Amino acid sequence: MLAIWVGKLVAWLLRLRGHDATSFPGKIALRLSPNLLRRFGRQLRRAIIVTGTNGKTTTTSLLAAMVSQQEPIITNHKGANLIQGIVSALIRESSWTGRLHAKTAVLEVDEATFPLIADSLPVVVIVVTNVFRDQLDRYGELDTTVEKLFSAIRKTEACLVLNGDDPLCRHLGLRASRKTFYYGMDRTTAKTSARKQMRDGQFCLQCGQELSYEGFWYGQLGLYKCPACDFVRPHPEFLGTYRGRTLTFAEDQVPELELTLPVQGLYNAYNVLAAASAARVLGLWADPIHAGLAAYLPPAGRMQSFAVGVPVTLNLIKNPTGCDSVLETVTSDPRRKWVVIGINDLAADGRDVSWLWDADFEQLAEDEYLERIITSGLRAHDMALRLKYAGIQPHQIGVIEEMDDAMDKAIAEATAAQANVYVLSTYTLLHPAVQTLSEKVRSDESQGLAYRTSVS
Amino acid sequence: MSHRALRIGHLFPDLLNLYADRGNILTLTQRLRWRGRDVIVDEITHADTPRFGAYDLVLLGGGSDREQMLVAGYLANHRTELRHAIEDGLPLLAICGGYQLLGAYYQVPGGEKIPGLELIDMVTNYSAGQPRLIGNVAILTEEAGVVIGFENHGGRTIHQGAPLGKVIHGHGNDGVTGLEGIRYRNVWGTYIHGPLLPKNPRLADAILKTMLQYAGVDDALDPLDDSMEEEARRSFVKLRMPEVEAALA
Ligand SMILES: [Zn+2]
Repeated sequence: MLAIWVGKLVAWLLRLRGHDATSFPGKIALRLSPNLLRRFGRQLRRAIIVTGTNGKTTTTSLLAAMVSQQEPIITNHKGANLIQGIVSALIRESSWTGRLHAKTAVLEVDEATFPLIADSLPVVVIVVTNVFRDQLDRYGELDTTVEKLFSAIRKTEACLVLNGDDPLCRHLGLRASRKTFYYGMDRTTAKTSARKQMRDGQFCLQCGQELSYEGFWYGQLGLYKCPACDFVRPHPEFLGTYRGRTLTFAEDQVPELELTLPVQGLYNAYNVLAAASAARVLGLWADPIHAGLAAYLPPAGRMQSFAVGVPVTLNLIKNPTGCDSVLETVTSDPRRKWVVIGINDLAADGRDVSWLWDADFEQLAEDEYLERIITSGLRAHDMALRLKYAGIQPHQIGVIEEMDDAMDKAIAEATAAQANVYVLSTYTLLHPAVQTLSEKVRSDESQGLAYRTSVS
Repeated sequence: MSHRALRIGHLFPDLLNLYADRGNILTLTQRLRWRGRDVIVDEITHADTPRFGAYDLVLLGGGSDREQMLVAGYLANHRTELRHAIEDGLPLLAICGGYQLLGAYYQVPGGEKIPGLELIDMVTNYSAGQPRLIGNVAILTEEAGVVIGFENHGGRTIHQGAPLGKVIHGHGNDGVTGLEGIRYRNVWGTYIHGPLLPKNPRLADAILKTMLQYAGVDDALDPLDDSMEEEARRSFVKLRMPEVEAALA
């Protein structure tokens, strides 16, 4: 009980001072009562876990919005997906006597944290979005991530909702041997890509042969099969067809749903597909799925737009595959553009910035609409060097270590040229960028500047 | 004076592609192209037969334990050819897992030994319970001054040969001896990635010079504008290992 009181008090004090209270209250409470998560877990009727490398935060928020159409739920917002973040969310949703206000939890859980908490919660459904290379300094290697997920699954009796287009997810499903639902994209929408992007897990985890692909969506997501054994992409129970702003969601014996995508990009279509599939597995019908999508507010910095005189679009980058799909969205915009790339190397960003060299920044060198790139953050110079070796002309590259100054400069130059701005940043630079850009929007509005969403 | 295109053999990019090997390849090829040289990168996948006589430089990168085991199997049949090529002066850059493969074996936690290529008298051990050696690293080398980067390895590598450099910051081969990497004939072996070459242009050029000499072509390297590289070095060292700053100058 004391732990919960202290946790609540800490959260209250933090919020009073305008600080973020998504993790620290849980950290303090766990120090006083290491068993707190298990005690909360006993009060829950069911927990739905979303894990995987990319898209956890968006998928969790989408699914939480859908499930909460039917009953009150507990969820950890803002990607606070380590044990202290999960406990903070539970403390926030409990009374002073430690009673939870809801019986269902929809939680985003970090892949490395999942095995540590899997047996403390009544997990009924586990969604794995994908397994990509991410922050090798924290996870060691990709194979280790797969092992961690597998050991977590084994500690539960949950059924699985897996991305069937990802061979690493398929491998998890085969090994876990339990009720498993796969989702995937319609095969006619796969590309035969010539780009040389980082593809993890392109070898059969059953026999070691190189997988053969009929087509790709992104990263190693595609129509794969092993030429030497029976390992093959499963036929998905839940099938998505992505058409720009909508996703057609199909399953056997049920009418198709036309889902409106709240955020752009193929990787977000995958997140909507994952959330809708999990919702169907939980027994939700069309209405809560549509209502959930409509109610969903994109988390900060996921292709978030700001009208600051010129359009500014902000997006998180944190690993090669996610970065490649963001770059694809940026370079497919046929408007002149300024790009700001902010790279930090603090713990939450990943202390090793090697991944910058695995991401396909060459895409920017081929973008004829690119005017200038300003790199920023603690590792601004590493980023600038990456761009130089990608073939971008040094005179197009500028370095301004302070992110706010870098954005000011890009916005000023883009405004003069009537162009638009993309800001890409790692985790610890993202929230300050959201704040700065939001303040700019507010000050523009208070000065009565015309609200322009586009200059095209 | 010959102007034939230079040829880099990149061994198993399909398997050993951890830790940004692409950055090392890019640094080598761009620094040749900026000087008006032609260069071809042969990607030798597990389905190809490596022809060590045809390359002017070979790059062997890092991978997971499982992938390293596969590579050891593929290369076992070509070991004699590779050994002769190295004795003959073939330049070879081996990083992380590729570095470990140069020795007799890599013993993983649990006792299993991944056999190496036995090109160099060297072994690597990783015992259960030992922490991984992770973090920013700086070493002092004879041929390229201070070399900086990132290391992330569980294995402790032991050899009696010449190291690539002496550790000024970080762990190095085993976290104990203060030595990092290996230098043998025209072989560079190291745990440093990050990747290794972009922020260490002097080392990149030392490797290129050796490559040109081995290729038997004009080995003059015109100076390049390395101001961005130097700026990246200075700011990284200042931020993450300020005690190295003096050595950098
Ligand atoms: Zn197979």
